[in-house]
Amino acid sequence: MDTDPGSSSRRRWLLHSLQASFAATVAAICYPVLRFLRPRPATVSGAMEVVAPFRVNQLPNAPGNPFNFGGKPCLVVLTPEGEKRLARGERLQPGDIRAFNAICTHMDCTVHYRPDHGDIFCSCHNGVYDLNGHNVSGPPPRPLETYKVTLRGSPGQEEIVVSRTS
Amino acid sequence: MSLAPVSAQGEKASWKQRLKAFFVERLGLEAVQSLAAKKTVPLHRCTPFYFLGGMALFLFLVQIVSGILLALYYKPSPDQAFESVRAIMTEVEFGWLIRSAHSWSANLLIGILFLHLLTTYMMRAYRRPREITWITGVLLLALFMAFGFSGYLLPWNQLAFFATRVGTAIVGVVPGIGHSLLLLARGGEEVTGDTLARFYAIHVVVLPLVTFVVLGIHLYLVQKHGMSIPERELARYGGPERVPSMPFVPHFLLRDIVGWYLALALLAALAALFPWELGEKADPFGAAPEGIKPEWYFLFMYQTLKLLPPYIAGFEGEVLGVLFFGLCGLVVLVVPFLDRGPRSRAVLNGLAAVAVAFFVVMTAWAFFPNPEQKVACIMLGTLLSFVSLTLLVPFADQRTPAYRLLIGLLGLLGLIFVGAAVWELIA
Repeated sequence: MDTDPGSSSRRRWLLHSLQASFAATVAAICYPVLRFLRPRPATVSGAMEVVAPFRVNQLPNAPGNPFNFGGKPCLVVLTPEGEKRLARGERLQPGDIRAFNAICTHMDCTVHYRPDHGDIFCSCHNGVYDLNGHNVSGPPPRPLETYKVTLRGSPGQEEIVVSRTS
Repeated sequence: MSLAPVSAQGEKASWKQRLKAFFVERLGLEAVQSLAAKKTVPLHRCTPFYFLGGMALFLFLVQIVSGILLALYYKPSPDQAFESVRAIMTEVEFGWLIRSAHSWSANLLIGILFLHLLTTYMMRAYRRPREITWITGVLLLALFMAFGFSGYLLPWNQLAFFATRVGTAIVGVVPGIGHSLLLLARGGEEVTGDTLARFYAIHVVVLPLVTFVVLGIHLYLVQKHGMSIPERELARYGGPERVPSMPFVPHFLLRDIVGWYLALALLAALAALFPWELGEKADPFGAAPEGIKPEWYFLFMYQTLKLLPPYIAGFEGEVLGVLFFGLCGLVVLVVPFLDRGPRSRAVLNGLAAVAVAFFVVMTAWAFFPNPEQKVACIMLGTLLSFVSLTLLVPFADQRTPAYRLLIGLLGLLGLIFVGAAVWELIA
């Protein structure tokens, strides 16, 4: 261009309207694309209460533990005291069975229960939680989310009902 | 477009200039700048044809972007393919728009490529030294038709399933290697989930890779040799250096962008007003639905194969048909080497006219095959003929018999079209 585009006000106006049109086109294309990228409404069940696919006498190493609770893995733990009570044929006390959101608060791996260590362990980065779900060593920054546990059925054969409080 | 070094401008250089200088120095953009400054586009009667390549490139970009977006939700398995496309159309926000844009731009792209091929042929732009530009261009058309064919199966609906069965069966009639090709294409004797996986891999990996290479060569050659000027225009102006021209940046580029906007507007209107249908899920053991036919750019072959008798002079009709179309493709590919003088050119032009007429008639016929749709068939036929003949206008000198004949033919086609439209409205 032989003349400076900024020299005449009419030319400047034209240039600005051209730029504005380009910007409008880009916006008109990007808007549906960004909306398209937004995840679909969740297809997993948003259940607030789920019955575990195993019974108390199958713990601590029950098949299917952790299980799917509203799209997230739920880990059910039988404490050593509970294990003793169960062996003696006594009725389980509240707190003998605990349930946690099994997603490690560090980097989203799934944790597991180590009966020999009496803790909950994340293999990805050696994160350790105690049986209250508190982070005790390793990198996890926060405790595990805990769920409410209700037992129903005949003693020693109880079903485990896990529910979210909120 | 002067680019003074930062030191010469001192503190006065704005941040924009400094940023530009930063990248120019580090990326060696001087070469690009000098290339852009030198590139010109000749101005003559056929200049509008130069827009077609740019429009095709733009539509290809739309294909890439919308294709990548669709791949985020699409699941290539016979159990999930149809459902995932249905979810894209109904659950994902603007999914219907992205899928329709992908399908419509694919069809527009093939249409533009046909016109690009035809106008390039008419300008004889394949003349030495541009033979390889032509060959890569024809290969690109074949690649995009392969894109269309492989993409057609992916929604796993009834139409797609049977079109793929028929299309791969056509490959199967090639003498000698046909059956091996069919097995290679289908990944088995039948169209199954393996076929779907194959077509998906071909559609999203193999074809894009090959296309990038061929398109790269094509675009490089276009830059290397510059725009070809038809001989008639060269003669009119008396030499290539006397043909008026326009700088590519920004003058022609801005006009090119107008072409892109036209393509975008057409695409947006088509995608928004006529969202691409999904149809019914494929049933491999059900009967083929009535009125099944391939995409419009395969219709001329489809109609021909439908009309051929089972046996011609002892040979199977479809074998001859497939071989004939293969031969036609080969002839198109090597046109630059067949054009060896005025006589061979006259033969080629005659063949090209017959080919275009054949394409128009067969496409219109296959599009509206029922006798009661005769008027619609005539309207489509006259419309396609009108478009094809309009391309000839820049080549005819005014006040010559050829020009008068052309205008007369265009007028006649227009009259027939309007007459048919009125007839359709009254009836």
